[in-house]
Amino acid sequence: MPNTKKIQPDRRILIVDDDHDDLATAGEAFRELSGERWEVRLATDVAEALAVLQANKVALVVLAVNTPVLDVALLLGSFGRQHPPFKKAVLAHPATDEVRAASLAAGADRFFEKPVSAEGLKSVFEKLCELLDWTSPPGLQGVLRSVGLADIVQMECLGRESSVIELFHEQPLGRIYIEDGLIIHAVCGEISGERAFQKLLALTGGTFELRDFELPPERTINRTWEFLLGEAQRLRELSGQRSKAGENLATGAKGVSSEPSGQAAEMLICSAAGEVLYNWQSPAPAARVALLRNVARQAEKLIPDLQLGKLDRVEIQMAGGRAILQPRADRMVFVRITNPA
Amino acid sequence: MKADFKTWFARLPAMPGMLACGVRQPNGKCIGYGDDRIYPAEKIEKLLGQFAGLHEPLAAAEFSPRWTTWAFEYGHLRFVMRPDKRLLMLLVSPDTEAVRELDRIAEEFLAGTIK
Repeated sequence: MPNTKKIQPDRRILIVDDDHDDLATAGEAFRELSGERWEVRLATDVAEALAVLQANKVALVVLAVNTPVLDVALLLGSFGRQHPPFKKAVLAHPATDEVRAASLAAGADRFFEKPVSAEGLKSVFEKLCELLDWTSPPGLQGVLRSVGLADIVQMECLGRESSVIELFHEQPLGRIYIEDGLIIHAVCGEISGERAFQKLLALTGGTFELRDFELPPERTINRTWEFLLGEAQRLRELSGQRSKAGENLATGAKGVSSEPSGQAAEMLICSAAGEVLYNWQSPAPAARVALLRNVARQAEKLIPDLQLGKLDRVEIQMAGGRAILQPRADRMVFVRITNPA
Repeated sequence: MKADFKTWFARLPAMPGMLACGVRQPNGKCIGYGDDRIYPAEKIEKLLGQFAGLHEPLAAAEFSPRWTTWAFEYGHLRFVMRPDKRLLMLLVSPDTEAVRELDRIAEEFLAGTIK
């Protein structure tokens, strides 16, 4: 009897597993458990998976990891962002902390121990159903609104870090390259250099990711980060003033609002032992150092339990602004930003 | 705990990228959901208790946090304290929908519309 149930694209899933038997078992089980409402595609390697993703809109990719045969981060990474967005779940056997950490770092929405029984498959199926059923409520607030790209750039530069900040707003928007605390390149669509940097800094919607440093294709920026961030602040204030005056500004950047992200109010850098190395406008340096050390102590308590890797920073959101604390092994940083008046 | 809060809270674990979430009542009673074996309810309770202990030093340092976010390599931990001392904890995976939803969830929790 032909199957007359219409399968919606939001119920098309792809299972990737290099174990042929496990793959067939999971595929059959999920089809049955879904009452044939799921369209289950199977792939045993990256090439097959990419071919399915190219040809179909898939709602969920279930990646089985039989370590060390599959590199989860590499595989999740290889799916890239060229396809329509899909949810990602990882089933691992054994479900080690290393694989779990790598899966989460690579953007997995869910991580489970690979089931070895019918009951286990059913339990995972139910959790995958929840994942598929999740829909975004309207009125999302982008991470950029709360954290502030300028804050991240400033902290990376202050810490003399090397990294790439990649920005998204539904799709990749651009990148900022920082090497040893120097902003060396920025790209935003077709433009690059300082103009691209300022365009990215003007964004207040969307998200960003801090990635490991990689060499840019070219070096287009040679000004100091202090100048570049100061200029970004000046442009934001100018934009705000013009908006208030009712002028129509053609900013040219998608998702740009006139809301400034705030103004630095104080900054303090101290050694791990608490010696103040740099203080700009901090009204209570001793209290800030004490707070940083307290946070570092709490982090030491939290880290073993959480199994989430190293602490990068703590952000305190307050009514009048926010503070960012970065307690690291060699030095600690405190930055406070006030909301625009 | 009133029914509408339960409904709101029960929906959180299904969000893509939500590893664990929990709430601590003013009387110290906790409710938690964990995504996998790493985050059983007891661990969530412990985390809520640890953060509740950190809230005092923050207040003493003249900060009145609406929320705090602990950004780790593989996850973000958000704590939101309401004036009625109810504390919400969200543990999310980076680069997922959940991390982009943190502010909205925190604002809803703080707004007082959920009782």
